[in-house]
Amino acid sequence: MRTPNRHDLLEFLTRHFIWVVLVFTVVVFGLTIKGYLGLANIANILITGSVLGVMVIGQSLCLMARKLDLSAEGTVSLVAVVAAWLMLPYRETDLAQAGGLGVELDPLIVIPLILALGALIGFVNGFMIMKLNMNFFIVTLAMQLVLRGLALAISEGAIMPGTPAAFNWLGGGRIAGIPVSVIATIGLYLVFGFVMSRMQFGRKVYAVGANEDAARASGFSPARTVILVYTASGFLAALAGWMLLGRLETSVPNLGIGLTLNVVAAAVIGGVSLKGGEGSIIGAFAGVLFLAMVNNALNLMNVDPLWVNAVRGLIILVALIIDAQKTRYAGRAGPSAPTTTVVADADQNAAVS
Amino acid sequence: MVETGALPRRDMTLLDMRGISKSYPGVKALEDADFAVRRGEIHGLVGKNGAGKSTLMGILMGIREADSGTIAIEGETLHQASPQTMIDAGISYVPQHINLLNTLTVAENILVGNLPKNRFGLVDWKAVNEDSQARLSRLGLKLDVRQPVEGLSVAERTMLAIAKALFNDARLIILDEPTAALSRVDIDLLFGFVRAQQEQGVAFIYISHHLEEVFEICDRVTVMRDGRIVGMRAINEIDVADLIHMMVGGGVEEYQRESSAGHELVFEVQDLSRRGAYEHVSFALRRGEVIGISGLQGSGVDELAQGLFGLERMGVGDVTIAGEAYRPGSPKSAFEAGVAYLPQDRHRYGLVQLRSVRENVTYSVLDRLVGRLGVLMRQDEQAITEEYIDKLGIVTPGPEQRTLLLSGGNQQKVVFAKLAATQPAVLILHEPSQGVDVQAKVDIFNIINDLSRQGVAIMIISSEVRELIGLCDRILVMYEGRITKEFSRAADNMQPEDILLAIEGGPGDADA
Amino acid sequence: MKRAEPNRLVSLMVDNLIWLFVLGAFIAFSLLSDRFLSPYNLGNILLRSAAFGMLVLSQAYTFITGNFDLSVESSLGLTAMFAALMLVTSEAGGLGWQLDPLLVILLMLILGGLIGLFNGVLITKVGVNNLLVTIAMLFVLRGATYGISPGTSISFFPKEFTWLGGGTLARIVTDDGNFVLSVAGIFVILAFLVGHIHTRYTQFGRNMYAVGADADAARAAGINVDRVVIIVYIIAGVCAAFAGLLQAGRLNAATPTMGANLIFAVHGAAIIGGMSIYGGRGNIIGAFGGVLLWSILDTGLNIMGVSPFWIDVSRGLLLLFAVLLDALRVRYQHNVQMRLALADTTVGLGDKEQSGG
Repeated sequence: MRTPNRHDLLEFLTRHFIWVVLVFTVVVFGLTIKGYLGLANIANILITGSVLGVMVIGQSLCLMARKLDLSAEGTVSLVAVVAAWLMLPYRETDLAQAGGLGVELDPLIVIPLILALGALIGFVNGFMIMKLNMNFFIVTLAMQLVLRGLALAISEGAIMPGTPAAFNWLGGGRIAGIPVSVIATIGLYLVFGFVMSRMQFGRKVYAVGANEDAARASGFSPARTVILVYTASGFLAALAGWMLLGRLETSVPNLGIGLTLNVVAAAVIGGVSLKGGEGSIIGAFAGVLFLAMVNNALNLMNVDPLWVNAVRGLIILVALIIDAQKTRYAGRAGPSAPTTTVVADADQNAAVS
Repeated sequence: MVETGALPRRDMTLLDMRGISKSYPGVKALEDADFAVRRGEIHGLVGKNGAGKSTLMGILMGIREADSGTIAIEGETLHQASPQTMIDAGISYVPQHINLLNTLTVAENILVGNLPKNRFGLVDWKAVNEDSQARLSRLGLKLDVRQPVEGLSVAERTMLAIAKALFNDARLIILDEPTAALSRVDIDLLFGFVRAQQEQGVAFIYISHHLEEVFEICDRVTVMRDGRIVGMRAINEIDVADLIHMMVGGGVEEYQRESSAGHELVFEVQDLSRRGAYEHVSFALRRGEVIGISGLQGSGVDELAQGLFGLERMGVGDVTIAGEAYRPGSPKSAFEAGVAYLPQDRHRYGLVQLRSVRENVTYSVLDRLVGRLGVLMRQDEQAITEEYIDKLGIVTPGPEQRTLLLSGGNQQKVVFAKLAATQPAVLILHEPSQGVDVQAKVDIFNIINDLSRQGVAIMIISSEVRELIGLCDRILVMYEGRITKEFSRAADNMQPEDILLAIEGGPGDADA
Repeated sequence: MKRAEPNRLVSLMVDNLIWLFVLGAFIAFSLLSDRFLSPYNLGNILLRSAAFGMLVLSQAYTFITGNFDLSVESSLGLTAMFAALMLVTSEAGGLGWQLDPLLVILLMLILGGLIGLFNGVLITKVGVNNLLVTIAMLFVLRGATYGISPGTSISFFPKEFTWLGGGTLARIVTDDGNFVLSVAGIFVILAFLVGHIHTRYTQFGRNMYAVGADADAARAAGINVDRVVIIVYIIAGVCAAFAGLLQAGRLNAATPTMGANLIFAVHGAAIIGGMSIYGGRGNIIGAFGGVLLWSILDTGLNIMGVSPFWIDVSRGLLLLFAVLLDALRVRYQHNVQMRLALADTTVGLGDKEQSGG
């Protein structure tokens, strides 16, 4: 039997595992890489992490509700293409460059439009899953194919360069020297961190994700909660699409492709469980920081850019293996009290009349 | 640990368990239990919840270790008890919820892991189907072996599970509440099958709360109470009343609550019917009154509780709360109307185990805790949580502890706190003392008492008749969807034997 | 004995939905375009999606046991690049070893198998979630593909190597053009046939279904669940290596991006072919139907001059439609069962109208 103190410490460490890893990472990289902790480099880490970061929020909400949103990257592609298409002047497609539809809408109209489009996509996902009882994995998978295809079809697979400056502000602008995307991302984390920990909505998401039946018996509506979660996820994906397009200033077909898997990895490394009902937005943020820091360090260490992906994948893999051990430990640990009641329960449940 | 011991050899005896004891920290689950089954008999095992039946069977199946005692099969003492040795000895368990390969066919379920092959080493499906069909018909079981198991009825699944056990050379099959979810037609089907196997020399242990069925199918019956074997009788030497008397025992000091019923009617149910569940249910609850409703599984009590809380359809009829019409469409509207419900299955419907005590306690009152801009008022939340931790005596390291890590009794108290926090007018409790230890039971009875003194009208649905007698002002009995009997303190007719007899559908002589 | 007996015809149609889709797509494209039924095009349908088909086969295997392998698209890329390096002269971008093509094919199949073994061991023995492991492996393997590549594509392979992916078995000359019987098309059909026999007619194959249906019940029946899952991942890896071989052979080149972002379309094909992500359901023949449907859409839309970018849209919509039908079927069966259960009891029957209840 462990002493309570040691147990508490272990429980603390396993619960906040990602922060331990993060501190370790900062120390190692800080000591070994020159200029790693310099302001310019920190800004760099944050800028590259911001799009990923925004998407991780939406995915974390889905995971906490014991769902998954594979369609988010499709939303990123689609809203970016739609935005460019609506804003850019018409021109003949040549040399794989295309122009817009020719309506040349003002960015101030386009931005709310694409955000609403993202939210609508999310709502449709949630509606199909909860109201039509369709499987969430397949629904969002199919939705991803549809959205990705639509993005390609609209852009005809061509790039659309030259988005207006007002539109690019979120992705590329700076306020007092600080990138707007970083401010926005941190702001979103604060907002959603607060929503999930201090507001009714967050409480419901965790309850529905951990035990849908008990949540309903507690007076919550799982359908409404999950539909809202997907709507938020779609909205955030659209925001990420806006941010990414703003940074690149050019709509590239297949923008955001492959992001989903990075996003899920970051959320899980940050302690958001695939089994629902657990994890925190702030933990997910740590997961994003971790991935962004690793990417950045690999760049600074002059790792052959061709190998960066492999090394990053390996690091994710190692993190997951450690995480699996942690879960195993947590499964075994715990005060002895429940064991006896489990036995007593079995005794009674076996013959319930 | 099973000790060696020389046992007198009796030719008729298949299973002989002697002097089995088992205790858990704080609980003596089994004390010096002797249990024997003859070859080719159907042996009933009855007793209230927690009487020790499951512990005894767990030891027989090798999944729990006895502290002392011996197990002998056909006179041979087993020196080691593991699940595998028990299976090898021919003991097989058929649980209430049967575990089969649902997406695969009946034939494949029967032959799984060892399918017949043709000369190329490939699975010969014709042989698979014919072989399994032949095996089943040898047992007199008619099933389409090409059908997936998920398309079978519960009775068919049970028979298939028994058949599988027999194919694995089982000599003694434990049936755990096999008829709980079955209609009369299906019960006849199952019993016919079980009797046919009995004639072939297979022995069964039949665990059930439906005593009528025990009399219908068993040859002998063993009664357990409080971890002891109370007695064993041949079925033709005993009647239901005797059996109930043995199960209930006497002279045990029980909790006794003073009545606090007022006069004002709070909750009125008039002629409520729901197709397939209950019919013409009428009763009324006064302020501060505690009533019990008891009935077997399938009698409609469970459905009634869930219907009244809006977890299922309520059906046709009039229900009023303090004179106002009440029709819950969902648990949320039930809470708003002042009805709260403690579910029987605490793990599935009661608790969100991954989340903290604080969150669980306040789920039902979140609407009231929302301050400006939808922010939850942390201090109020904290205050409510601490109030109920204190009031109900929830033992927890703190409000942030995950409820997963609490003991059963404390988990149940957390669910109580969640309900009490809504300050309900009517409280429906479904098996409130199930799965909690003795001390927690007393605590829970005290909570019920306190709430009734505050004027809450309480309806307890329970099979623990003795507890109901101690707690309730009146006890209603449901049988086959109707309220068939009423017992009350006022009429001074709350005798456990009579109530249990009524629950079993017997005529009884205690007309209210 | 009462149980749910939904309309036979309806259930037959629902069970074989994929073939209705295939037939419908086939007829639709035949009517919409006169070129669709041309011999050249018919010969092309399977050739174009041969590699894709092998990935679907790999997923069908993992799905049967209730598992995933997202990393197969990267295994495809890595094995192809690995083979290219060993085949080609250093001027053409290879290592200059110019190994024997048959040896190289053997080595790439072994590499695929090892990747699968690694996945399987991590999932069963280390206990990492299957989705996450294979996501991570997807990155690792794709990264390794870039890492070992010279940064560009490698081409000009020996004939023996490209035979499987790009070779022609027979050419039938007709008035409307040539019908080309491609090696790759035949290979994919054979592979699915072998897969069908393996999963339907061998003890191991049936053990796979048992594991997918209920791992605990399978364990109770004496099946070594971990072993089954590991072997299935090895098979998936080998299938992915075959996909790499087919793709490299058809293009006569290996690029670092080969196979990238295919996985979700692959899953879509397997699912619309009747495989379940929860395991224990569906069959390899149905999965082949999924491949056919995807490639008919691919070629059909292409012939009609529809932008290829609409292909994914149509696939996604079809998939949604199939899931919707399945959800409706489940609801219907549930209702039938409820009605039968109610027919067994007389409780509550005495009431005049049950409409409100």
